[in-house]
Amino acid sequence: MMNDLQAVETALAGLSAPAAPRLADRIFGSWLAAPSRLGEVFVAFTGDGVQFLRSAESVGDDAGAFAEAYRDRFGRPLRQVDRAPAGLLTALCGTPAASLRLDLRGLSDFERDVLTATRRIPAGQTRPYGWIAREAGRPRAVRAVGSVLGRNPVPLLIPCHRVVRADGRLGDYMFGPAHKAELLRAEQVKTEELTAPATIAAQRIQRAQRGNRCVDNPAEPAECG
Amino acid sequence: MALPMTPEGPRNQGTGEKLQQALLADLDSGFADVVHAYEPVLYAVALRLSRRPADAEDLSAEAFLHAYRALRGYDAERISALALRPWLLTILRNITRNAARDAARRPDPPPAFEPAEQLTTAPSVEQQVEQRDVARELGAVLAALPEIQRTAVVLRHVIGLPTSEVAEVLGCPDGTAKSHIWRGLRRLRALLTEQPDTSLLTSERTVR
Repeated sequence: MMNDLQAVETALAGLSAPAAPRLADRIFGSWLAAPSRLGEVFVAFTGDGVQFLRSAESVGDDAGAFAEAYRDRFGRPLRQVDRAPAGLLTALCGTPAASLRLDLRGLSDFERDVLTATRRIPAGQTRPYGWIAREAGRPRAVRAVGSVLGRNPVPLLIPCHRVVRADGRLGDYMFGPAHKAELLRAEQVKTEELTAPATIAAQRIQRAQRGNRCVDNPAEPAECG
Repeated sequence: MALPMTPEGPRNQGTGEKLQQALLADLDSGFADVVHAYEPVLYAVALRLSRRPADAEDLSAEAFLHAYRALRGYDAERISALALRPWLLTILRNITRNAARDAARRPDPPPAFEPAEQLTTAPSVEQQVEQRDVARELGAVLAALPEIQRTAVVLRHVIGLPTSEVAEVLGCPDGTAKSHIWRGLRRLRALLTEQPDTSLLTSERTVR
């Protein structure tokens, strides 16, 4: 019979200490800068996949602004790393990689459905916003599709630039319509298949783009080879 | 004590302060230091508070994320005034309680008190078996305590926190914390002596 609580205390204190797992890997997002078809991009990812991508140009070439946007959106701290997740670098240069995983946690079902449908559009093709709305199961939510794509966490990797307006105009793009036209041209989208206003828009954009070193200078290190 | 890795032990009072300075200088890299300093304690507590050891990693990672999100909204004055360890443990306790509440609404998980122990020294096989048995037994009876007593006992006697810090985590006066610890110990003793095959309290063996 044990009358002393001391033995219980001793046993509790003797519970051996297990090695703690490396929690940082599950708490911190990782980020790096990488070359892409849009010039340099900043990319953040977790162990589950790529979470967030923005062009350097869109954040004023400021990695700090990118990190702050990430923290606001995902509520995680960030640390810079050297190693890109599997498939990322080739995907950024336009070659889809089966090994590339995306971390789309925290999105609504509708957002995820919109992005999943968008991800299925092959290079060289476009789809209207209404098609995405139907694929996502909400055929009347055409405007909502536009807002979801405008907040696409991983543009390029989920090719929201391939979603165009039903009247053939290109529609908006988070990095600007000029970049949308440029990406589509690079994917050999036949501009004659788009209606006249879109062609005109594309040509206007093309003219505006001339002299843009990100597009025209193949030696730019942030560009894909 | 079982866990000598608590940075705010009497011999290194300055650690918490250094971490606060690091947080103020750069929240993200400072937070990496905070995680590094406190993950052993948070994980060890989570392991003893959660019914399933497999959840301990999730719970402690979740606690750190909550802490980070809170810190983003704190000004320098508030960060400087934080007692990091009890603050983090309070967050962990709330998350663990919420998780237990959610789990209670779902079907029972498979019973699991598998030892997640990885001994740092190299004891004999016999000692290892014995320690595993003790850990399993204690894990099982700890789970049978009311939450507040379990938390009090784990913080005081497994982790070795001073009673004042236990009180801070429980959000009660020191005297009340002492009473939770004492009642928890008595209940543990009762539960252990009830067990038919207990090697813990019926023999003279001490567990070290």
